[in-house]
Amino acid sequence: MSSQKSKVKSQKHEITFFNSFLLVTLVLVTDAHAMHISEGILPFNWAALWFAAAVPFVAYGLYRLKKLSAVDPSFKPLVGLMAAIVFIISCMPIPVPTAGTCSHPAGTGISAILVGPAISVLVTAVALLIQALFLAHGGLSTWGADIFSMGVMGSFAGFLTFRALRSVKVNMAVAAFIAGVLADWATYMTTSVELASGIRGDSPFLPLFYKILIAFIPTQLPLGILEGAMTSGMVVLLYKRRPDLLVKMGVLKAEEAAL
Amino acid sequence: MKLFSEHFQKEHPVVKFDVRAKLAVVIALLLMVLSYKGVLFPLFIAAGCFLLCVRMGIPLRVLFLRMAQPLFLAVVVLALKCFFTGEDTLFVFSLPTSHFPLLTLTVHRDGLIEGLKIAGRMLGAVSLVIALGFATPFTEFMAGLSWFRVPKGFIEIMMFAYRYIFMFLEDAHTIYSAQKNRLGYSGMRKGLRSFGTLTGSLVIRGIDQTQKTAEAMTQRGYTGDMPLVKKRPLRFGEFAVAMVFIIFAGAIWMI
Repeated sequence: MSSQKSKVKSQKHEITFFNSFLLVTLVLVTDAHAMHISEGILPFNWAALWFAAAVPFVAYGLYRLKKLSAVDPSFKPLVGLMAAIVFIISCMPIPVPTAGTCSHPAGTGISAILVGPAISVLVTAVALLIQALFLAHGGLSTWGADIFSMGVMGSFAGFLTFRALRSVKVNMAVAAFIAGVLADWATYMTTSVELASGIRGDSPFLPLFYKILIAFIPTQLPLGILEGAMTSGMVVLLYKRRPDLLVKMGVLKAEEAAL
Repeated sequence: MKLFSEHFQKEHPVVKFDVRAKLAVVIALLLMVLSYKGVLFPLFIAAGCFLLCVRMGIPLRVLFLRMAQPLFLAVVVLALKCFFTGEDTLFVFSLPTSHFPLLTLTVHRDGLIEGLKIAGRMLGAVSLVIALGFATPFTEFMAGLSWFRVPKGFIEIMMFAYRYIFMFLEDAHTIYSAQKNRLGYSGMRKGLRSFGTLTGSLVIRGIDQTQKTAEAMTQRGYTGDMPLVKKRPLRFGEFAVAMVFIIFAGAIWMI
């Protein structure tokens, strides 16, 4: 009996290949939720914390919306349009060859580049609420956490990267690509933090965080690149066909559009 | 468009029930489910919501499709918790060649209990939101949010987004079919290029559409604020039913 116990104890501390394989396989199959934390997964205190973290950003987004729509009445329909784009992009399955399955991009990189990070947080909040209520994708209790990972982290990472690269004269396609990639990866990094902190119980945070992070890599790494390509494709297409729209949104200066 | 839950709504008293009362009940139950320390209460709520949806005439296939992803995630979390966290060993799966660690898997009792709690919480909470989605039309929901003093700007953006989603889906389907017919997704490079063109075209068409919408709305007297459906005063009967329901659920939650 005691020999069996010691055997079990020694085995417990081993991370066997089978266990790791099972973990990776299990998490890979859930990648449809890569950006959205499902309803009820976070306990009350964590759900409330992420709500509290997201609310100031949404409030600032509403303040910016009020200010900008007072100048241009077509701004609200435009923001509604961006919310619809984020909704559709984050519902759109994209094949991920390494996993042999499908996942979805976030779309916050492109929305942050086009309408700015503050409005992009608002756009994400709207898209996530519609998905939670009418598709059971994400959730009401995890709305705050999803806004924070996808809206706040995704939008700010995408926007700041794009602006920083453009300020050092990096090509628009490359800047948009990197912005899209980082927006996606920032989102999944934050989702990993939220998931690990929410489901860890009494277990230590870091080991679970690393497990979730590593398990997400095979899908989210190529997915981030796909999101970068999509963001770049959209910005370049707008630049080629309708540079006036980019000037209107403040992405491009009038003299750059004339070149 | 069979995408949204409200498409499957049928004539049922719960659908006609005041949205404010429904929202109050769902939020109260959601808080109870999230703060519950066991498994039974969330499962009781999940079973209740499932029966309600069936009574509302929601096809079982649709119900299972809505539940499939959260259900699967619940199983995954359960597996993660019982295999990878905890100290107290419940049992060990091992094939005859157990000296080879590749084929050994340990189930932990404390991990299993914790996993069951999370999975139960997920099922209870998801069922509540699914039932709310099936029982509430979008416009009613907007009116309810307005009554709860959700900022008007937020509600307006939600209404615009809802309108554009359908427009986009139609356009996206048309463009995607055209691209697919011309072998636009026959390889990785081609697929990426086609996808970029698809999303870019949708954005350009959408932005043009917003300009037209704004012009049309301005011509009809739009000054930046959209009128919302005004809710009738809350009926005492509906309020009382909601309160009794919350108190009843609260009593079960405390037991």
